[in-house]
Amino acid sequence: MTVMLCIPCYSFGVEESGTTLYGYLKDSGSGEPLIGATIYAPKLGNGTITNTYGFYSLTIPEGNYTIDFSYIGYATITREIELFTNQRYDLELDEESVQIAEVVIQAKSRDHNVSSTELGVHKLDIKTIQKMPAFMGEVDVIKSIQLLPGVSTVGEGASGFNVRGGSVGQNLVLLDDAPVYNSSHVMGFFSVFNPDAVKDVKLYKGGIPALYGGRIASILDIKMKEGNSKHFGVQGGIGTVFSRLTVEGPIVKDKGSFILAGRRSYADILAATFTDALEPGQALNFWDMTLKANYTLDEKNRIYLSGYFGQDKFMFAENQGFSWGNRTATVRWNHLVNNRLFFNFTSYFSDYQYQLLLGEDKTDSFKWDSRIRTTAVKPEFSYSLNANNKIYFGGELLYYRFDPANAVFSSAGQLSNVSLDPKHAYEMAGYVGNKQTVSSKIEIEYGLRFSGFMFAGPGKVYSYEETEPGSRKQLIEISNVGNREPIEYHSTFEPRFSIRYQIDHSSSIKASYNRMAQYLHLISNTTASNPLNIWMPSTNNIQPETANAFGLGYFRNFGDNRFETSVELYYRSTVNQIEYIDGADLFINEFIEADLLSGVGRAYGMEVSLRKSKGRFTGWVGYTLGRTEMKVEGINHDNWYPTRFDQKHNLSLTGAFQVTERLSFSANFSYITGTPTTFPTSRIEMQGYVIPHNAYESRNNIRIEDYHRLDLSVRLDGKKIRRGKERKYQSYWVFGAYNVYAHKNPFSIYFSQANDRSVPGQPVATKGSSMSIIGSMIPSISYNFKF
Amino acid sequence: MKNIQKILMLLLAVSLLWSCEEDIYPELETAEPQIVIDAWINNNPEPQYIRISETLPYFDSLSTSGIENATVYLTDIEGNTRYDFVEKTSGLYEWIPSPAYPQIGTIMNSYDLYVKIGGEVYTSTSTLNRVPEVDSIVFSYEPESIYGEGYYAQFYANDMLGPGDTYWIKAYKNGNFLNKPFELNLAFDAGFTAGSNIDGGTFVEMIRDMINPYDTDEAGDILPSYLPGDMVFVEIHSITNEAFTYLNELKIQTDRPGGFAELFSVPLSNVPTNIVGMDSDDLKPLGFFNMSAVSSLGNCLDPDKFAGLDN
Repeated sequence: MTVMLCIPCYSFGVEESGTTLYGYLKDSGSGEPLIGATIYAPKLGNGTITNTYGFYSLTIPEGNYTIDFSYIGYATITREIELFTNQRYDLELDEESVQIAEVVIQAKSRDHNVSSTELGVHKLDIKTIQKMPAFMGEVDVIKSIQLLPGVSTVGEGASGFNVRGGSVGQNLVLLDDAPVYNSSHVMGFFSVFNPDAVKDVKLYKGGIPALYGGRIASILDIKMKEGNSKHFGVQGGIGTVFSRLTVEGPIVKDKGSFILAGRRSYADILAATFTDALEPGQALNFWDMTLKANYTLDEKNRIYLSGYFGQDKFMFAENQGFSWGNRTATVRWNHLVNNRLFFNFTSYFSDYQYQLLLGEDKTDSFKWDSRIRTTAVKPEFSYSLNANNKIYFGGELLYYRFDPANAVFSSAGQLSNVSLDPKHAYEMAGYVGNKQTVSSKIEIEYGLRFSGFMFAGPGKVYSYEETEPGSRKQLIEISNVGNREPIEYHSTFEPRFSIRYQIDHSSSIKASYNRMAQYLHLISNTTASNPLNIWMPSTNNIQPETANAFGLGYFRNFGDNRFETSVELYYRSTVNQIEYIDGADLFINEFIEADLLSGVGRAYGMEVSLRKSKGRFTGWVGYTLGRTEMKVEGINHDNWYPTRFDQKHNLSLTGAFQVTERLSFSANFSYITGTPTTFPTSRIEMQGYVIPHNAYESRNNIRIEDYHRLDLSVRLDGKKIRRGKERKYQSYWVFGAYNVYAHKNPFSIYFSQANDRSVPGQPVATKGSSMSIIGSMIPSISYNFKF
Repeated sequence: MKNIQKILMLLLAVSLLWSCEEDIYPELETAEPQIVIDAWINNNPEPQYIRISETLPYFDSLSTSGIENATVYLTDIEGNTRYDFVEKTSGLYEWIPSPAYPQIGTIMNSYDLYVKIGGEVYTSTSTLNRVPEVDSIVFSYEPESIYGEGYYAQFYANDMLGPGDTYWIKAYKNGNFLNKPFELNLAFDAGFTAGSNIDGGTFVEMIRDMINPYDTDEAGDILPSYLPGDMVFVEIHSITNEAFTYLNELKIQTDRPGGFAELFSVPLSNVPTNIVGMDSDDLKPLGFFNMSAVSSLGNCLDPDKFAGLDN
């Protein structure tokens, strides 16, 4: 590792003596730091960008410079700067006022698509997300990213999202650095992120820098707003499903701010949405609250507090039902060590819990809850060595506590505790990386991450023996381990590399290689991921999943960056991917590891994207052609078979048309190949029951019907100007229709006995059933305000 | 814990306002038929039946599938006693009690099954496990149950002391076996799974409760379980742990309430078997062999006992 740090030193020994221009860039209206804004010196043909906290540092030779400060959607500011000593230069940029010809959907900078090394990375501005029609009229972060190439879902009702054929549990979702273990409310219809509090969304599918790790398919990094540090503001909305309200404002003007955002669904309406027979006590509702505060202590120090609390409840009767929720809390401290070295220290706590309650009274009841708690610290440094090298290094140390089942039974008044023991694990990582401009045409980013994982006591250790491949393992022994005593230790070196070769000012080629390791696993053998799925650590029986991912892409902009196009090829091979035996028992099972198998996986494909980001009509087309398959000894006769997320074609068309200053239309259309499933061939008649049976013992041999859907929405803004002055109170209506032509997209197809009750001696008829979660068109209205 | 999921799924199987469920009959791959041996024998002093059939295409409920002219018998594990089954109707083989052998099986003994069809031989083995008595069956009137207002029955019995006893509890309403996949009632000790740790106690409420039929009328409303004058009969059959796993799998694959519950359903997978064929067989045999001891009790819903509680 020492060798890697020295490489830039050797090539740029002379320029160590440059001078540094550094500071913070913010939005002039709210004081929000601008993430990824550009500071550019045309004379040098070089520059830098702001980090997550709005900080930049540019070390260049002494001299007089014209510096451009720019950020998409904001007016560029050009300043003449005499740079002969290190200089702090903070600046506030003004948002460009909305005009008909306004750019609505944009990349980070005009030619960012072509010029950055980022391959397989998407950044979505919250303004983009807010212009897209969503389910029931509510804009949504996760629903928006599902329209990007390479990102998919197995249908309505499925929590989470799939990236390049990976499973839902292979994505790391971060909310201000804290992991979120279930990013969905109400089975995936809405995500847990309140768009009013979200500032920046970045999805890394490939080209993942060394500072991220922990999952093998993708990283979704969501940053919340800091809150308006200049004046108070309120915004919110009343929709068909839920209402939301956000309050933000300064704690001390320009020095500190807070933001508090909440959402609550309407219990009766939502429950009635999902059941046509609303029994007393039935309720389906959720709420979430996001809060944040920050304070600038002095020129060099700033602290931040973030918190998220959310809960979903599905009660099917009084005192009976299940609920789940995430809580995260993050504390961060920024410190400018010197004008080139930026330090951030984060510590966070994340708690994901779900609970099931059954039984009409206390003498006979069943109560179960399951939890995963994560506590971590994360120091990060970034060192802007000079204009051509930006080095970053840091680490992370996490402690996990898994409570797979705290369950109590009460039977005729007798209590029984059927809890499973908690499990403990520690994960650690250290990384170093550099973003280096090699020449005017070549930019590279490279790094190494070293990650380690220790599964430790106190607890029980289970040892199993393989019987037949693909079937339940035999328990050999259970032993006990003391507090913090290590049981199993895993570690992985994760090199990362990406390169961009700029062919000319409007086209480039990029390539990347990542090696990723994942030590936590989401255990789920259901058709789609649901809240009762559990997270498990790697143990002495479960190996970490590791992946090697390659990407190659060609990027081309046309018409002065009016159209951005790209073609990306990807290939990801995975080792120790988790799979399940036939008939796996994954619910409160002490011996769950006996039912888990591991195999190899491979996902490969091509993503094509075309975006029009300027003009009255904006939009994009995303198309992915892909395949994802697995091979596990003992399953499907040891042959490769498609995973549950293998969807060959995935086409998304999204468009927005600004008709007048106040009226805009948007539409999106999705077409996804049907997901794989297993059909029976034969029937077994056993004790009067008819059992479906597949004589070939295949898995995922059939595809269900293709999924397609069209959504439309209309947005009407209230008058912005009244009596010549800009109105403080702004509002807009959104009218939407989801699944406009009411296509019944099947979620699952299952086989069962047809008759209500079979009569002994009579033949038992069987049938297939196609179940669609959404089978009709759903209209919606919402009213949104801001002042 | 699978039974809990089943109950959960039934409660969630309400139809969704905007969801839609359709009957479909997709074309299925064809396959060669496989032999199925359905052999659940108990030690009651009455005729015992073994059914030998072959698998049919999944949607075919009309073709005959019985296998004729098979040689079928049970022996105890030492090979001392042999119980021959004679073909009664196509595919159905019957053993009739005689004064010398009024019933098959003594508790804690193991038995072997032998079936010969043409040149192929299939065997299996099972142990006859112990079973507790059914202590009582009580009816109660529930004005506010989620299943609807009405009379509900519960049986009371205690699991035998010593971990690892597994049971299949069968209920009969007015002589008719409650045969819906949802009504398949299994117990591991007094709870649902090996991890339950409820050994020797009273069976948990959800198991005691499962002797109520679940029927709906055309509108989809739940019908009353028991009405005055109805008779309920409960049998506890002891089964081997292997049979418990088998029936659990069977229930998962056949009990599909549909609706919202599909969000929690698992994909189709084949149920296991304990029938062993010759290694040379291309098509493996299917089915299951289990020996049970049975205890039973009945009760009648006497309206007089509930006088004054109606309405």
